[in-house]
Amino acid sequence: MAEQGVPVTLTVNGREVRTSVPPYLLLVDFLRDTLGLTGTKVGCETGQCGACTILVDGISAKSCAMLAAQADGHQVTTVEGMAQGSAMTPLQAAFWDKHAVQCGYCTPGLLASMTDLLQRNPDPNAAEIRRWMDGNICRCGVYQNVVRAVRQVAEQAPGGGGE
Amino acid sequence: MRAIGSSLPRGDAVGKVVGATPYSGDLSMPGMLHAVTLFARRPHARILALDLGEAGRVPGVVCILTAADVPHNRFGLNVPDQPVLCGPGDDEHASRVRFVGDKVAVVVAETVEAAERARALIRVEYEALPVVPNPVAARQTGAPVLHAAHPDNVLLHYRVRKGDTLAGFAQADVVVEGEYSVGGQEHAFLQPEAGLAWLDEEGRVAVACAGQWAHEEQEQIAHALRLPDERVRVIHPAIGGAFGGREDISVQIVLALAAQKTGRPVKMVWTREESIIGHHKRHPMTYRCRTGATRDGRLVAAEVELVSDCGAYASTSTKVLGNATIMAVGPYDIPHVSIDAYTVYTNNVPSGAFRGFGAPQSHFAAESQMNKLAAALGMDPVELRLKNALRDGSLQVTQAPMPAGVSMDHVIEQCAESIGWRRTAQGWQRPAAAQPDSPWLRRGIGFAAAFKNIGFSFGYREHCWATVEIHGGGDIDRVVVRCAGSDVGQGAHLAFQQIAAEALGIEAEKVEIVSADTATTPGSSGSASASRMTFMAGNAIRGAAEKALAMWRDEEDRPVIATYEFNPPATTPMDDMGRSTPNFTYGYVAEAVEAEIDTETGEVRVRRVVCADDVGRAVNPQQVTGQIEGAVVQAQGWATIENFVQRDGLVLTPHLSTYLIPTVRDIPDRVDSIIVEVPDPLGPFGARGMAEMPFIPFAPALTAALHDATGVWFDHLPLTPVRVLETLDEQA
Ligand code: FES
Ligand code: FES
Repeated sequence: MAEQGVPVTLTVNGREVRTSVPPYLLLVDFLRDTLGLTGTKVGCETGQCGACTILVDGISAKSCAMLAAQADGHQVTTVEGMAQGSAMTPLQAAFWDKHAVQCGYCTPGLLASMTDLLQRNPDPNAAEIRRWMDGNICRCGVYQNVVRAVRQVAEQAPGGGGE
Repeated sequence: MRAIGSSLPRGDAVGKVVGATPYSGDLSMPGMLHAVTLFARRPHARILALDLGEAGRVPGVVCILTAADVPHNRFGLNVPDQPVLCGPGDDEHASRVRFVGDKVAVVVAETVEAAERARALIRVEYEALPVVPNPVAARQTGAPVLHAAHPDNVLLHYRVRKGDTLAGFAQADVVVEGEYSVGGQEHAFLQPEAGLAWLDEEGRVAVACAGQWAHEEQEQIAHALRLPDERVRVIHPAIGGAFGGREDISVQIVLALAAQKTGRPVKMVWTREESIIGHHKRHPMTYRCRTGATRDGRLVAAEVELVSDCGAYASTSTKVLGNATIMAVGPYDIPHVSIDAYTVYTNNVPSGAFRGFGAPQSHFAAESQMNKLAAALGMDPVELRLKNALRDGSLQVTQAPMPAGVSMDHVIEQCAESIGWRRTAQGWQRPAAAQPDSPWLRRGIGFAAAFKNIGFSFGYREHCWATVEIHGGGDIDRVVVRCAGSDVGQGAHLAFQQIAAEALGIEAEKVEIVSADTATTPGSSGSASASRMTFMAGNAIRGAAEKALAMWRDEEDRPVIATYEFNPPATTPMDDMGRSTPNFTYGYVAEAVEAEIDTETGEVRVRRVVCADDVGRAVNPQQVTGQIEGAVVQAQGWATIENFVQRDGLVLTPHLSTYLIPTVRDIPDRVDSIIVEVPDPLGPFGARGMAEMPFIPFAPALTAALHDATGVWFDHLPLTPVRVLETLDEQA
């Protein structure tokens, strides 16, 4: 379908992608089906669950609520692009360590939201963390362990743990 | 070195946090086709004709499966009463659709778009039939008969008669009557149903999907396709939550059929809306209860009538009904009991397994009765419970003694003390909730307790299989455990690993788990349900490990391999008086809830939950706490905001925008998990099952807190703000 599409150039996980996409193609489907980046999940297709949350220019966004064409010219980061090489980021390691993962289906989306939060505020308190989690549903109910994980990152960051 | 009791992090979490772990919807294969389902989307109709002509001509369509393609067009976990596909023809049973999620056709095409286009062009001629919207309508004379084998639409009636309730009530100084109703609940596991099927290198039909019991799915697929079991292979990749919602077949049979027909890999992913109309729900139930006690708080008699909405097909309704029956008077020793329990076919989405399996519904009624009785007697609710709690040797309503290891009183005491109940010379005393300044906000503290079976009940031949291989020379280098039990997100595989390590006296890192593929784990482990996986698989793995270790010491051969099948003590079905040995063991839990109610908006806020759960032995305390916190949030959802609405058989809440589940904003401000460890005499290293327990007493503890806050009883769930305001008005 490339011939009838919209030309786009974007950066996905640090790699430039130049292609054309059907105008109706959702960004989440582009990432999952076209690029094979299945780490980003689909839980509702309608913007409620947050499983599809990614980072667009560092800001968390629901990729089921965006067209692929809208990502033209932007930097997209998915869960696959968070870790540096094979090492987990401190946030990923804290999710693992603090049991903030049960089934794990909400995890990539939560990681994107919490990454965005930590970039804005490296030392968020529990109430702020909860507020930033509002767009991500976890049916296994790991919410409190996510708070614990994010606090661990804040406390371990240089100069962190001031709260 | 102790592997058990340490909060090791989960091995599978590494792949999940870096996004490398595939779930069934993430899989693809070269040459793969895509399938979509045509759902009936009407609650009751006869299919007169099906026209595939135009649909079949859509470019890219490879085949369209209909009822005529299904070799044996029936399935069902307990009763095979559900057509795989409904369609016109001689098979009267399959020519009718009985709920909105009945399936009529599956379109298989080169792309999802082509399959969807063709689906829209399938023409089905329906004759609308009168809809049976609820169990009351279903039992009226002249109601449409939904299944020929049950002319009164009652799938099952359980009758329990213990002692003599007439004599019992005659001894009662106080009798409390109550009527209760609870709503259905959607599992909303975050990963909607998805699967991939193909013909594997040995020519088997392989299906990778999210399920709870690989061997049962294998059997049901084989049954529908008329294949020997070993020609079907079921694989569970990572599973995005289950909670009972994946116990029934969803995409598995039709995908297997599509792969067999086309000879190519076929993938299907349901949308959230398809998931919500397509799979079963928690049973809505209604209760009528009478409970009698003497002035000093001794329970003497109880009478319960309960009715569950089975929905269109049996699913696990008969088993859920059994559980609801034996828990209908709560965890108490009552000499005279009479229970009549019915599960009734309707044109609603089928009801089935959901965390707690009948226990939350029955405990809501039973514990509400206890709270009202305490108020009527002027007695503290903890005091009343402790006077009557089941103990070792107490007779259940089925007249069998409780299995050894009952810890109900201990759990109640631990929970009560933690939230501030005081033991005084006059007995236990409830703490008073501190009231906020705003007069429209009222706070209260409530209490409830519960018990629930671990493992399958009522004569089912419960068993679990495991193999342990020990590799190395003089020392153990590496251990491979084969056990089919599914890790649906609860962390079962880490528990398996820790139990194996403990039994072998090695570090958990040396243990590798091979699981959830019927080709590599030939024996069944049973379902990841009934809080049974740690208990059953733990015993099987421990047995195999001990056998392997003995071989390792006595024999030269390396590696050593031992297989063990764990069989717990037998249970029996209920007779016509309800007499049986229903279960081989139970778990015990108590919860205290501090809640705040806004009397102007009807909003309910849970400030604090204290949950004391006897887990026997915490294999991994962090995971136990995670289960408690997660179960409490789900229970809070069921009790308050989760409102699954069906009207005349139509689902009015088919999206996450209309069916609300708790976000972080809704959850309790604080959850205190108290891990109680009274060893289960039958448990592996004393462990009991636990993942359902913390769900069960939450709702009645919450309504007790609201009564403490307002003096008003809330007997109907969910407590949506509108209902809360109406109830406050009625009782004002
Ligand atoms: S899939 Fe995007 S919010 Fe649910
Ligand atoms: S861990 Fe299962 S949905 Fe969050």
